[in-house]
Amino acid sequence: MKRTANDWLLDTFAYFFLIAIGLMMLLPLLNVFSKAVSEEWAIVSGKVGIFPVGFQLDTLREVVTSSTFSHAFLLSVGVTIVGTALSILFTAVTAYPLSKRFLPGISFVMVLFVFTMLFSGGLIPNYMLMRQLHLINNLWVLVLPGLIGVFNLLVIKSYYESLPEALEESARIDGARTYTILFRIILPLSMPVIATIALFYAVGYWNDYFGPMIYINDTTKQTLQLYLQSVVMEANTSTALTKSVEDMMNMSPEGIRSATVIASTVPILVVYPFLQKYFIKGVLIGSVKG
Amino acid sequence: MAMENKKWLTSLLCASLAVSVSACGPSKGASPSADPSASMGASAAATTGGKEAKPQLHALNIWMKDDYNTYPVAKLIEEKTGYKVKYDMLPQDKANDKLNLLMASGESYDLVTIGGDRSLYGDYAKKGALVDLGPLIEQYGPNIQDKLSQDSLDALKIDGKIYGIGNRSSAFASYGLMIRTDWLEKVGMQAPATVDEFTQVLKAFKEKDPGGNGDKGYPFTITGDSPMVTDLMGAFNLANYWTDIDGKLVPPPLNPGFEGYLNYMAGLYKDGLLDKEFAVNKDATMKEKFTSGKIGVVSLGWWDIPTVTDALQKNFPDAKIAYLPALKGPDGKMGLGMGGGFDRISFIPKSSKHPEDAIKWINAKLDDDLFKEIAIGEEGKHYTVKDGAYSPILPAFNDERNQANNYLTGVDEKNYPIYWQARVKKDMRLYEGFNYLNNVLPAEARLVDPLALAPSMPINSKNSAAMTQLLNDYMVKVFVGEEPVSGLPDFIKKFNATGGQENEVEINAWYATVKK
Amino acid sequence: MNTEVQVITESGVGPIGRKRARKREGRWRFAWRNRDYYLLLVPGLIFLFLFKYAPMYGIVIAFQDFNIFDGVRGSEWVGLEHFQKLLHSEEFATVFTNTLLISVYKIVILFPIPILIALILNEVRLMIFKRTIQTIVYLPHFLSWVIISGLFVTILSPSGGLVNQLIEALGGKPVNFFMSNDYFRSLVVFTAGWKEVGWNAIVFIAAIAGIEQEQYESAAIDGAGRIRRMIHITLPGILPTIALMFILRLGSVLDAGTEQILTMYNPVVYNTGDVIGTYVYRVGLGKMDYSFSTAVGLFNSVVGFILVVAGNFISRKLLNRGIW
Repeated sequence: MKRTANDWLLDTFAYFFLIAIGLMMLLPLLNVFSKAVSEEWAIVSGKVGIFPVGFQLDTLREVVTSSTFSHAFLLSVGVTIVGTALSILFTAVTAYPLSKRFLPGISFVMVLFVFTMLFSGGLIPNYMLMRQLHLINNLWVLVLPGLIGVFNLLVIKSYYESLPEALEESARIDGARTYTILFRIILPLSMPVIATIALFYAVGYWNDYFGPMIYINDTTKQTLQLYLQSVVMEANTSTALTKSVEDMMNMSPEGIRSATVIASTVPILVVYPFLQKYFIKGVLIGSVKG
Repeated sequence: MAMENKKWLTSLLCASLAVSVSACGPSKGASPSADPSASMGASAAATTGGKEAKPQLHALNIWMKDDYNTYPVAKLIEEKTGYKVKYDMLPQDKANDKLNLLMASGESYDLVTIGGDRSLYGDYAKKGALVDLGPLIEQYGPNIQDKLSQDSLDALKIDGKIYGIGNRSSAFASYGLMIRTDWLEKVGMQAPATVDEFTQVLKAFKEKDPGGNGDKGYPFTITGDSPMVTDLMGAFNLANYWTDIDGKLVPPPLNPGFEGYLNYMAGLYKDGLLDKEFAVNKDATMKEKFTSGKIGVVSLGWWDIPTVTDALQKNFPDAKIAYLPALKGPDGKMGLGMGGGFDRISFIPKSSKHPEDAIKWINAKLDDDLFKEIAIGEEGKHYTVKDGAYSPILPAFNDERNQANNYLTGVDEKNYPIYWQARVKKDMRLYEGFNYLNNVLPAEARLVDPLALAPSMPINSKNSAAMTQLLNDYMVKVFVGEEPVSGLPDFIKKFNATGGQENEVEINAWYATVKK
Repeated sequence: MNTEVQVITESGVGPIGRKRARKREGRWRFAWRNRDYYLLLVPGLIFLFLFKYAPMYGIVIAFQDFNIFDGVRGSEWVGLEHFQKLLHSEEFATVFTNTLLISVYKIVILFPIPILIALILNEVRLMIFKRTIQTIVYLPHFLSWVIISGLFVTILSPSGGLVNQLIEALGGKPVNFFMSNDYFRSLVVFTAGWKEVGWNAIVFIAAIAGIEQEQYESAAIDGAGRIRRMIHITLPGILPTIALMFILRLGSVLDAGTEQILTMYNPVVYNTGDVIGTYVYRVGLGKMDYSFSTAVGLFNSVVGFILVVAGNFISRKLLNRGIW
């Protein structure tokens, strides 16, 4: 294709804009990373900006090799994988009938779902429910209550709605049943959106901290995020249960906190680049007008 | 695949029907041993019958970084007491909410150990959620009666009954004003002894600029969330939150010294002696400014000394720091507020299955030798002792006893303050700071919190956090000049209306009973 | 089975055919014939009722003086007392205004940026560059507010912060952003943007990926330039997603970013920065007043729900599609 002056202008703008934004957004993580690999004195006196001061990997090693960390890490990986897989399945299936607006009563069901985005029973009844279901201290409690996220449900439903009707019609004429259409035609065509909600779910499960905080008491079932939050919150002296001087003396140094942040954030960051290959346009062509 | 999941979900739905009927019921009834004395008698009989297997105890503790169940102290306690204990822990954040849930839903913990928050403990006791420990201690707790002072036991009594065992904290001053003594030398001044001299030093720091910061530094800074600065507060007779004025305890706003303090701090801010950005400062920002040489004086706890010294001396090899003495105020008042009260409180919920074993366990841990070994380890391995002074052996002490305080349920009140100094000696710089504030300074420079051993007071515990916040916010606004000091009467009105009045009445009703 | 398929092919296909079929055979028969769809809905509905609606009774504690040990049944009813306490509190007018202002600024300024990022990213042909930028812009989302605001305190510090050094170099006077009632709201909006725009762009990037490539090709043959294609194909292509996101955003209009502001504000900027969430936290701090916080939450939810319903209604009128 020939490039016009306009195109050239657009490209220049796009690259400049994105580079500027990218640099800005890179700052905070670089800063935390630098703190994780800098020496404590430099962190305390605020010398660490974008670049590490007195590069060392001991802090990071200390965090990663602690048994509490590695245990919590494996647990979080497990919960994230199982949770994401089940969530995608349930969400993709539930969204399908919801995208069929001609079905009687389907709007009402949709309202029921959206309602729960805004209203919830609150902490106490939820805890009582999980207790009744024997889910306290049970790892399933980290997966089941978040099985279907309504936001993700809406995203995938909206995508289904944008798929051409002709697709399903031709399949129906060939005698395919609803289930077959969903699993054989719709889902394979929905990879961009499934990749999106997979990312949302994975990040959601990985970052979930409220669930483990409330429903898990067992020291061997602490997830990484619960561990991380507790380490980070440690610095916040206004925690509800007052601290004794011994607690103050035992507080983790800032470097340890940054290293914990890095060690527990980087694993989930790699998910996105991996999923990006599904974000490629044009998946639809060919298959639609087959 | 979808069908399989469906079947599995259907069974969940059945459960949900059951839930909707009973989920919201009060859970108090769930406690199996509502009457501890009854079950106690039975088990006492069993004890005399010979050696029965000790049950596994289920304990709930506050958050700690290492795993409670595998930390060396846990093994030691299990070996020596014969009790296998399964420890669970609360999260760091929202610990109160979580504990409320666990207590209200009657989870069967045999022992719960929380921070020194007497209000939460008092709340549970009043609601009848805790086992009365009186008869149990009488029967199974000779060590508890022996090692804990009557004061400590009494402080945790609720309506005359004892429901909890507290780890009495040794009373000591923990914060002081830390000054760059090399700056003092540069400006040719001595360490100030009065508030006026302190102001002169700050002025000299500003004018002569020993740090060479230009307009990028300030003589003095504090954090935005603690405008009540130890030492300076003492100079205005405000060393502790509650002060005895003519036989009555009053909170800061009603203290005659308060206006002077506000004026003084607002003056420092106006004259550029107090960091213009102090309201934004968090603890870390404050240390950052101090260690990067932008600030001459900060308020610092002695446990922070090693970190701060390390950082400061890396940046300025010639830098030297020291605590200021307790500064005398315009009326000759002075003093550092001292902590006190309890580090931890342990109690037995009604839902406990083994209340008497829990007490036996606590009692066993207070045995002379075992207590010492839990607290500071073995002689020659974890600590050395010379002339009655304990010093830690590093790194063994750090590796295996750093978190020992989390395992204590009640302390040997006579000996623990002595053992305890082994912790402080992990770093001599830290010890020196501690020693200066608590031993070098004359005794009258340290003022005990009159409320250190006060019982839990419901109105105060309900209001106190919000009141402190209200007061802090007001003070910050006055310091920066957003509100004039002359508006104090209006603030007092608001303070009293928001809960100050009822707090004061409640506290003084109690104070009248203890005052000689 | 066969006959069923035939019925469908006769009259059940296509929007118009379906409407006609639904009318002719009646709702229930039509629904029964499409029962496969409803069966697919069953697991989702079980989930919904078990985990979302079963605990919903908890809302009533907003109308009680709830005591956790007495449970919902044992607690005393107080009617609208907690709502009155909120609405009649001295600071409510300020706090409510601040909430609305910050929230509206956030929507007006920050809602379009992710769309812009997605559109511009779509124009980038260099794959490595595109993916790198995509990954970078979503990074700040993963850091907590404590860390982000700590960083900004440093960058914006009037004594030696990067931004103020720049201001001074240009001959200006240093600004104490965090303690200035003139700048605080802008600061809140800006930092919220910094943290979330990249993350929020993902859903639009994915939506763009779903647009049929052929549309672009035929437009290119018609001689449409890239900017025209962006406006006439890409933008309409993601319009449903934009509408969806916008409606959902309306639902949280009364949450102006409590967690964020709690880590950023100080008493000096309460006048402009105190929002409902922070105010409740401040005055209720440590009180563990479940009823009051539930009441405030319910107030936010009701307002949010009304806006979502209204937004959906408008979207259906204008775009002929909505959430339901």
